[in-house]
Amino acid sequence: MGALGHFLERQGIPTTGISLVREHTEVVRPPRALWVTFELGRPLGIPDDAPFQRRVTRAALDLLARTDGPLIADYPEHIDEPADFSGWACPINLAPSQVDTLEAEIDRLATWHDRAVAARGRTTVGVSGLDMPAAGKLVTQALNDSLPPAQTLKEAIDDLRAYYLEAASAFPDAGTSATRKKWFWDETKLAASLLALQPRLAASDDPQHKILGNLTLIPASERYRL
Amino acid sequence: MVKRLSELPDVEARHLSRLDCPTYDDTPALAGKLLAERRVAIISTAGLHKRGDRPFRPGDGSYRVIPAETPANELVMSHISVNFDRTGFQQDLNVVFPIDRLRELVADGTVGSMASVHYSFMGAFPPAAAEPHAQHLAGLLKADKVDAALLVPV
Repeated sequence: MGALGHFLERQGIPTTGISLVREHTEVVRPPRALWVTFELGRPLGIPDDAPFQRRVTRAALDLLARTDGPLIADYPEHIDEPADFSGWACPINLAPSQVDTLEAEIDRLATWHDRAVAARGRTTVGVSGLDMPAAGKLVTQALNDSLPPAQTLKEAIDDLRAYYLEAASAFPDAGTSATRKKWFWDETKLAASLLALQPRLAASDDPQHKILGNLTLIPASERYRL
Repeated sequence: MVKRLSELPDVEARHLSRLDCPTYDDTPALAGKLLAERRVAIISTAGLHKRGDRPFRPGDGSYRVIPAETPANELVMSHISVNFDRTGFQQDLNVVFPIDRLRELVADGTVGSMASVHYSFMGAFPPAAAEPHAQHLAGLLKADKVDAALLVPV
């Protein structure tokens, strides 16, 4: 991110930016950066909190008045993240079982995904161009048969992940985003499939499969499950 | 709460500390107009694009075009990394791409105007791959009379 500050400002476009990892920004030294302590993936801090997001946006834009860069300003507001995993349970049994299949799990989530889309008015599913049953078939094929091209598989998996987590947000007791991610990795057939798929990808001769298996399939925080 | 790498869980800190950061000679911070007179574009590195646009791939240093009037439901994310939260984006586009906040700041006079087009890169790019695209982008921004870019990571 900070590199773009150099590239654009050198071409005559004044820049300001948000920094999520202060140590990186201290090395890259872009002209202006507002360091925030929010979770990676949430540079504006809190979803659906327009006043909070507006304050962060304004603080970053206010740095444009300064010409004493490279500078890093510390944003003064922080977020206490609740991490209560107790008492949360998925309202329908989605736990993998001997008779269960990935396809059945995907199908059972459809109604919850419909509810999530209705509630939010949008979905972030749709990178791969596949419908979710077809995306699931691709994962099953990768596990049991030949590996599809890495990019095709990655897009299908990212769509499925978004589909699962959006669906879970519509459960009657939806918990927090942290509990839903825990549910995904602890309980779903899809997560079990991804964990089973990782060694196949890592062992492939195709360098793109290796990248997917080693870097862009399982989050660093979940690799202990492998 | 204050997240220095030293305060993150070990596995995440190790992952982030392994990322190679480029170094540059300092770039002078340009002087400019008052914020209330500036035209601002958002440049995201979240790997955002319209549904149906080319998804990002490993090593991709190019950008995608996001016209200001793009409905939130048309934007998807194909960032290659799995090491950041996406549920915030799933809940609210603005937590990643604050276009409605910028629109509000224009409406109340804090910001002069909003660019007609915004852009997204995919932050896991090798900087050398992105530099020529960024240089080209600077010309597009100037043609849209943009005189401030808000860089938003993910």
